[in-house]
Amino acid sequence: NRENKYSDFEIIISQAQKTQKTNTEFKKTIFKCHRSILSIRSEYFQGLFRSGMKESQEGCVELHSISPEIMESILGFIYTGNIKITHDDALEILIAFRQLLILDENLFDFLINYIK
Amino acid sequence: MSRKMILRVPKFQEPKRMEKSEAQRLWLLLKDAIVEVQHMNASTLSFEELYRSSYSLVIAKRGDILYTGLEEVNNHHTKNLLDKIAQAVDERFLIELNSQWQQYKLQQIMIHDILMYLDRMYVKEPQLKVFDLGMFKWKQNVLIHSQINDRLVRMLLGLIHMERNGEVIDGALMKSLIQMYVDVSLKEKETYKQEFEERFLLATSHFYKSESNLFITNNSCGAYLKKVEIRLIEEEARIKQYLDESTGPKLIKACEDELIANHMQTMIEMETGCRTMIQNDRFNELKLMYRLFQRVENGLVHLKNEFAGYVRNEGHKIVNQPENLKDPNALITSLIEIRNRFEKTLSQSFANNRDFINSVNTAFESFLNENDKLSESLALFIDKKLRGGFKDSNDQEIDVIMNKVILLFRFLSDKDVFKKFYEHYLAKRLLSGRSFSEDLERTMISKFKQECGNQFTSKMEGMFTDMRLSKDALDGFKNYLQTSVEMGKLPKIDMSVRVLTQGFWPTFPPHSCTLPPLLSQYCDLFTKYYCHAHTGRRIIWQTNIGTAEVTFRLPKKTHVLALSTYQMLIMLLFNDAEKLSLKQMAAGTSISFMDIQRSVKPLYSGKYKVLKRTPAVEKSKELSENDIFELNLNLKCKLHRIKFAATSQTDSEPERQHTRQRVDEDRKIEIDAAIVRIMKSRKALIHNDLIVECTKQLSSRFVPQTSMIKKRIENLIEREYLERFPDDRRRYRYLA
Repeated sequence: NRENKYSDFEIIISQAQKTQKTNTEFKKTIFKCHRSILSIRSEYFQGLFRSGMKESQEGCVELHSISPEIMESILGFIYTGNIKITHDDALEILIAFRQLLILDENLFDFLINYIK
Repeated sequence: MSRKMILRVPKFQEPKRMEKSEAQRLWLLLKDAIVEVQHMNASTLSFEELYRSSYSLVIAKRGDILYTGLEEVNNHHTKNLLDKIAQAVDERFLIELNSQWQQYKLQQIMIHDILMYLDRMYVKEPQLKVFDLGMFKWKQNVLIHSQINDRLVRMLLGLIHMERNGEVIDGALMKSLIQMYVDVSLKEKETYKQEFEERFLLATSHFYKSESNLFITNNSCGAYLKKVEIRLIEEEARIKQYLDESTGPKLIKACEDELIANHMQTMIEMETGCRTMIQNDRFNELKLMYRLFQRVENGLVHLKNEFAGYVRNEGHKIVNQPENLKDPNALITSLIEIRNRFEKTLSQSFANNRDFINSVNTAFESFLNENDKLSESLALFIDKKLRGGFKDSNDQEIDVIMNKVILLFRFLSDKDVFKKFYEHYLAKRLLSGRSFSEDLERTMISKFKQECGNQFTSKMEGMFTDMRLSKDALDGFKNYLQTSVEMGKLPKIDMSVRVLTQGFWPTFPPHSCTLPPLLSQYCDLFTKYYCHAHTGRRIIWQTNIGTAEVTFRLPKKTHVLALSTYQMLIMLLFNDAEKLSLKQMAAGTSISFMDIQRSVKPLYSGKYKVLKRTPAVEKSKELSENDIFELNLNLKCKLHRIKFAATSQTDSEPERQHTRQRVDEDRKIEIDAAIVRIMKSRKALIHNDLIVECTKQLSSRFVPQTSMIKKRIENLIEREYLERFPDDRRRYRYLA
């Protein structure tokens, strides 16, 4: 339910989908979000915006290794501080958190114990 | 489990296998990007791509390639920069250095951002963090390089020197370059301290050493103080403007050492220095001096000692001035004046500093007790005030003077001597009816009470009670006379009597005299009346301090003479004789010759002469027994009532000695009491301890002489209150 109206940044998730033919197609999911909030929670985004590089100028970044579902969960956490974790996605979420340098000690402790 | 550990054990992430060639490819990609950043062309790069590359390398455990590669790139880059900067000449050097440095810092932030995953997950001690690595390379290859460091410091110090000499320099540039030393320091600003701060402080000390020496020899102390204050303000501003704040205390200390501490003695002793300022009440300059001296160690001690010394000296002069020794009023007035003056100095210049006040008080204590005149002078001073000296002052002024009196009183070590004199003069005021206001008397006494407690003033208050009771007794006596049988037989005189409780009042030296029969009869009547009303009391008549009014009939005119009792007795003798020698007067009245002398003097040598000396001898003032007097029937005086001073206001020497003797008597009793009190609680004590303890107990009233205490101990041994230990003669035991 993030408010899209004032969004100033987009995260695009490209996912390879196998069609019946052998070619692969990319399905793109777009998340509209806010630089200021992303910067606070994620050092990755903080660096990205500070660098003044291409993504910062164009207002979007394309991520490959994270699935749209996981991204949805992570953004939920970034915006609200709450996240739902299931057995199936715990590991994936942990890896994504680390990749984006969202460094929340409590969450890490919890995830590690949970996975164990 | 700590976070670090979790992050370092990527159990759950199976690293993807990565070919060496792939790792090499990723590194080259990053390297190119870093070089672009170093050329300020970052805007076309993709952050995500670069971040992902470094992420992949780290995940694949190829962080080492990345880290060592980065080190090399930085190394190479800073070496290039060195050449570029070193080539710049003169002022361009600082500007070039600064702009390169500012760019370099920005680049290092960007590189850090790209390699954030490396920084977070790979780098561990003692390896430097990515940004610190950048700083270290700059320091190593640029800043502390022989072509840069010395040149930079010299130029910075040169600019600061210029600024101290009044020129304007580029503060922002200074700040940036000096901050660079802080930025490249890895821990505790060590590069800043070693390479810059140390030399800066040295240069500062040098600068102010020569400046202060020169300035103080060519200017007054006041001008120098102002200069110092301005310099200190400037240096404070300098710290804020472009130095690291950690330098602040060190810089200010260096300045204070050179500008203040090294010149304190000079500032105190120089011709325009502290002494002159105190002498001339230069409050503002002293205040500045106080503020500045306060900043250095022991500074205030110097100033305080100088001030206290001056106070002691001034007080000493006043206390020993011959005119003041003769005139108690002038003495006390001058003392109050200097007290006021020094209090003003204390409050206006020395912030009412406790230590200063204490040392001034100590000085007062020392000179006020230099000679034993002060107790009496102070009592006389109050006496004069209370006899009417307060007439023209309002309540507030009176209160101020009284408080000053109390203040001086506080410094007296022999308060008991003062008390005796005060009681003596109070008694005289009350008995001669010369007290100006009972309210003021009571106010003064209540102030002593506040200061020393009930015991100190109980006798004085007793005197007031006696005065009131006497009035009642006298009224009763008058009624009694009217109803008395004997009354009819006696001619009527108006007699007033004051009944004084023995103990409250100072004992006046006993003088005897013969009263005329009529008066004796009245006295007997009063005694009869009083002893009847108050059984068990005894009345002793003290005639020497009374007053009388007699009618003096001249051929043409009649006067009323207000006289002392003795003078009355002498005058009454002339009812039966025309001429009398002093010897005859003494015989006729049984008054001592000395009192005769004192009584007669005002009668023949004052403004109105009721007696004349025959033959008239103008010059000779000394009276001898055989000098003859007769009534002056040619007295010319417009007044009906003529008042004669009974005795001079100041006491004669014998009277004074009498007072002192009584003080000594009282002291013996006090010392006895103190010794017994101490021994009773301690049972046994060594001689010296007893002396010390005894002196301590009595110090609020007077300072007992050791010899006197010894005598009292001997006396108490004789009276069997104490005994010596047989085996140790220095120890005493209390005998219950």
